[in-house]
Amino acid sequence: MNAALRAQVLVGAAIVAALALVGAYLAAGGSSYAPEQTRDPCQHRPWSNPESLSEIANQFSISALDGAACQLGVSRETLARALATPEARERFSRRYGIDDEKLARAVRAGLLRAVADAEEAGALSPLLGGPLRTTLEEIPLDRAIELIDNAESLLGNVRGLLGPAGELLERFLP
Amino acid sequence: MSEGAPRPRVAALALAVGLVLADSSIVVLALPDIYRDLGTSVAGVTWVLISFNLVMALAAVPAALVARRVGPGRSAAVGLAVFAGAGLACGLADDLSTLILARCVQAIGGAAAVTAALELLPATVGSERRAATVWAAAGAIGAALGPAVGGVLTELVSWQSIFLIQVPVALVAAVPILAVARHEAATAVLEAEVRPSGRPHLAANVALAMVSAAIAAALFLLVLLLIEGWRLTPIGAAIVVTAMPLAALLGSRIGPLVPSARARSAAGAILVSGGLGGLALLPRAEVALTLPPQLLVGVGLSLVLSALTETALGGRAPQAIHGGWTISARHAGVVVGLLALTPIFTADIAQQRDDAIDAGTAVVLDSKVNPLIKLDLAARIQDRLEEEKGKVPTIGPAFEPLPENSSERAEVEGLRDELQEQLNRGATHAFSPSFGLAAILGLLALVPIGLSRRIGL
Repeated sequence: MNAALRAQVLVGAAIVAALALVGAYLAAGGSSYAPEQTRDPCQHRPWSNPESLSEIANQFSISALDGAACQLGVSRETLARALATPEARERFSRRYGIDDEKLARAVRAGLLRAVADAEEAGALSPLLGGPLRTTLEEIPLDRAIELIDNAESLLGNVRGLLGPAGELLERFLP
Repeated sequence: MSEGAPRPRVAALALAVGLVLADSSIVVLALPDIYRDLGTSVAGVTWVLISFNLVMALAAVPAALVARRVGPGRSAAVGLAVFAGAGLACGLADDLSTLILARCVQAIGGAAAVTAALELLPATVGSERRAATVWAAAGAIGAALGPAVGGVLTELVSWQSIFLIQVPVALVAAVPILAVARHEAATAVLEAEVRPSGRPHLAANVALAMVSAAIAAALFLLVLLLIEGWRLTPIGAAIVVTAMPLAALLGSRIGPLVPSARARSAAGAILVSGGLGGLALLPRAEVALTLPPQLLVGVGLSLVLSALTETALGGRAPQAIHGGWTISARHAGVVVGLLALTPIFTADIAQQRDDAIDAGTAVVLDSKVNPLIKLDLAARIQDRLEEEKGKVPTIGPAFEPLPENSSERAEVEGLRDELQEQLNRGATHAFSPSFGLAAILGLLALVPIGLSRRIGL
């Protein structure tokens, strides 16, 4: 093989190798290997036919988080981590310039959205929805902040969260 | 090597060149340890690399002029002594400013040693062409081996050992060179035979700068991806990036089969760009998937660096001055590459980390795990984020201890794996734009390579 042909073969082989690698990685999904996008908390998130109180509580808290996050203009995931501990809440407040009062209002709005979502999903009787809404609307701000501080009750204990309304909720389960 | 060429001298000169040029990349794998140890940032610690390369770029040609004036043997020996002394200072530095200052001094000594070595090599090996080949090969192998050696030393000893071990190595290289200095009269005879200094080979040096920027990105970004993104240990990362120098050895076998330096340059630049393109499009966070791109980059860098260096030096004298220009071009390229790409990936990695954490938290929230466990996990994930502020966290500890109940345990393990997958995706994706830009830089080097014959540079 003469020198000119060797030069052409070398350059040609380099082009083929480079294109083959890039093509193979593109075909294997290289252009879309990124974290999954989280959903906009302001968009409605349908409930998935919860059957037990625990599942309702789960969906309820997710809806509440969505509603509060939408009101605050942050992601549901960021808010969930912020509510996990008092220290995390403080850092969150500093970072986003959100005071406790604004946070409490947002959480209350989130809880109301959760009631509406529960009604829409048929997980909560409309007979209960009204009084429950009234209960939540009347929750004083300091009580809302207390609920945020004690995030365990927010996420884990609907009865604890809603007081007498929670007892009713259990009775009116579909 | 010519008959009777003093092998220890050639070895010493090649060792000096390899050692100095390895130093431009040897700290890459140690950077994460350095910035943790010295309490600085990714952007700040990048200056440990940038400062060395910047000073090398600025000092190479003046150092070559000094070597011509005071004698290359003396210049090389003094250069190596300064390099060793500054290496000692680097190893003893306990703050970033001292380390960066010592790196600058190290680069001045290195520039003197490398350019003088090129002036000494023709007398030692018997021909300019052979000298250029030895010099370019030593530099390419040194640059490619640097990160792996640095990684092993960082893991087995400490980041300081990278610099401290250079002291005896530089002194060992200096001993035969001192003997060469005593024979500078013989070197002067050869100098008298070479043509007077001409202008630097513009196209080859511009191409060298662009390719060096791309290669620096390949080494620097890949190491950061492995250590900071995928959480490999320095020695683990060193083993992985050893693929590149091994491939460079393969490239050095291919090179002599093709006489055309232009074809080797073009093929090398295409391979480097293709490899970087592959790294920009990694389809999963798997170490094995970095091997084919590294193979291309390694073969490519061996072909392109040696071919462009030979082109830049070919038929031009004095060799030290033109060698100085190639050193200057290479290190200027590294500086430009690091300065241009560091802010991009630093911003990307912060954004991708947040996106990944959000995606992982979404998986936790949407799971059927007991809400109390969810809350606990959210708190522990947040704690991990705070503990490893600004970095991609190791998320496993947030899920420990696992629940005792077997079904809950399986669910939590699934969540942990999913969150880790999201973090891997984020870390990998964060580097994609930088690798992509580096690939474009490598491809752009084809312009001066292609133009070199047409415009007769």
